[in-house]
Amino acid sequence: MLEICYFFYKNITFGVTVFLYEAYASFSAQPAYNDWFLSLFNVFFSSLPVIALGVFDQDVSARFCYKFPLLYQEGVQNILFSWKRIIGWMFNGFISALAIFFICKESLKHQLFDPNGKTAGREIMGGLMYTCVVWVVNLQMALSISYFTWVQHIVIWGSIAFWYIFLMIYGAITPSFSTDAYMVFLEALAPAPSYWLTTLFVMIFALTPYFVYKSVQMRFFPKYHQMIQWIRYEGHSNDPEFVEMVRQRSIRPTTVGYTARRAASVRRSGRFHDQLHKDLVAF
Amino acid sequence: MPSNTASSSSAPAGSSKSKRPKYSKFTQQELPACKPILTPGWVILTFLVISVIFIPLGVVSLFASQDVVEIVDRYDNDCVPTPARANKVAYIQGGSDKSCNRTLVVPKKMKQPIYVYYQLENFYQNHRRYVKSRSDSQLRSVKDENQIDACKPEDDVNGRPIVPCGLIAWSLFNDTYALSKNNQPLTVNKRGIAWKSDREHKFGKNVFPKNFQEGNITGGGRLDANKSLSEQEDLIVWMRTAALPTFRKLYGKIESDLEKGDTIHVTLLNNYNTYSFDGKKKLVLSTTSWLGGKNDFLGIAYLTVGGICFFLALVFTIMYLVKPRRLGDPTYLSWNRVPGGGR
Repeated sequence: MLEICYFFYKNITFGVTVFLYEAYASFSAQPAYNDWFLSLFNVFFSSLPVIALGVFDQDVSARFCYKFPLLYQEGVQNILFSWKRIIGWMFNGFISALAIFFICKESLKHQLFDPNGKTAGREIMGGLMYTCVVWVVNLQMALSISYFTWVQHIVIWGSIAFWYIFLMIYGAITPSFSTDAYMVFLEALAPAPSYWLTTLFVMIFALTPYFVYKSVQMRFFPKYHQMIQWIRYEGHSNDPEFVEMVRQRSIRPTTVGYTARRAASVRRSGRFHDQLHKDLVAF
Repeated sequence: MPSNTASSSSAPAGSSKSKRPKYSKFTQQELPACKPILTPGWVILTFLVISVIFIPLGVVSLFASQDVVEIVDRYDNDCVPTPARANKVAYIQGGSDKSCNRTLVVPKKMKQPIYVYYQLENFYQNHRRYVKSRSDSQLRSVKDENQIDACKPEDDVNGRPIVPCGLIAWSLFNDTYALSKNNQPLTVNKRGIAWKSDREHKFGKNVFPKNFQEGNITGGGRLDANKSLSEQEDLIVWMRTAALPTFRKLYGKIESDLEKGDTIHVTLLNNYNTYSFDGKKKLVLSTTSWLGGKNDFLGIAYLTVGGICFFLALVFTIMYLVKPRRLGDPTYLSWNRVPGGGR
């Protein structure tokens, strides 16, 4: 579920930056990035973390699934893949892309970014924006998952490192092949402090809203698997009486499939309508 | 919920060995793992660290930008003589003398090198058709002189290939600026204004302009046919297409200091036609800092976000103190809570 939402998110982040740039290129279909950059985004710079996420991610370990069987209800009731979540992730991608594009554009205003007075052309703006996208998308992954093995570390930080390595290698190939990306990193981007400063700023700024949301949600509105994570963190999971108490309080009749999802959403909205009814009556 | 990936080993048929896959931590998803969760301590610490890093960075960036001295002078309207202002396009395309005198006053001491730029607005150098209209191979070597397909409509003149071909080269900016201070001419160094990789690898040392601007419509400046392309730095700078419709390009550098209050006289030739598309032309003199030109944006942005993060750290501290709860408490499960709560 998270993998699918994340996939929407990263492609929207990437695509919306391209779209926003179009608005400034009079919609002539001139892409913001070098063509090879465009093609390889989904191949190299953001694919491995998603695969690792899908294969390896565990929000709660296997032992806890045995202890707290109600976790299965999260899937049955479609809590993790509801429309709200999907739209939420897509919206996150959209505002990340807005942040990336406008900050890069403003920081390169008048294109004076280099202490040697040279101006920034399309390839420099493209390189800067792409760097920001790679960082934001991979850091977002790091923030979303709650299970870090060496696999996750390698794919996330490795994708980011690979972007820089790729820039250097591709930039060293003869310009008949690399066209405008020739030497763009080593000659233009890397020596300019404003490149590094802008990248750092964008990655923090684009991820702060999600970070705030997650902190609040984790603390005040945790989902069931997050509650189990808290229980584990606080050490109660080793206390069999506590675990038994949680299980007892979770017993309820359940169904599966469409009926279960329908019942869950009715319960969610029904509670809201009950409360609304109570408020109206009191008034 | 964990997903199982079983390794695909199996015992040979007929043996009494079990078919159970070999156990490994990797395949059974039991790798040593770090399982971080967003505890209150981490949240507050993160926001504090961000604000501690960002606020000084913002201050430093803002100071750097404030140190830069910049003079911007828009001249495209003023340099058209009053009687011609009703039809600027006809004026610019006509043959009259286009020289124009401007005066700039230096607001603060400017230390060398001082960079001279021309700024164009509403000029879409990033339009796809424009960007594609060049031939990189032709620019690099003489033997590829005839690789002009991408350059249409500025590819050849009566069958003879144009070098350099394409719309980008054809629209070369050709206003010139002669600066003087107190009646002493200020030398503007026009060498070294292009990126080194362009000069040495993209524009050939043996490629000379041919048949350039010989068509019916003149798009911009002319080129000295005796200078090889790698020495035509104005062309090289112009051909690095700009990212946005408002852009500056480097014209040259002044390698002497300018004092506060100095008057700079600029005799410019207002040749370039931006009137057909409502473009603007500006002359810019600017110093640089380690951060680049005059741009307060990064400094202000860093300060703002640093401040917001500090504020958020305070807010979260207050929230966690005011509403402490035992986080593993199952009474907070949605179905055990009062109606109206989340899930």
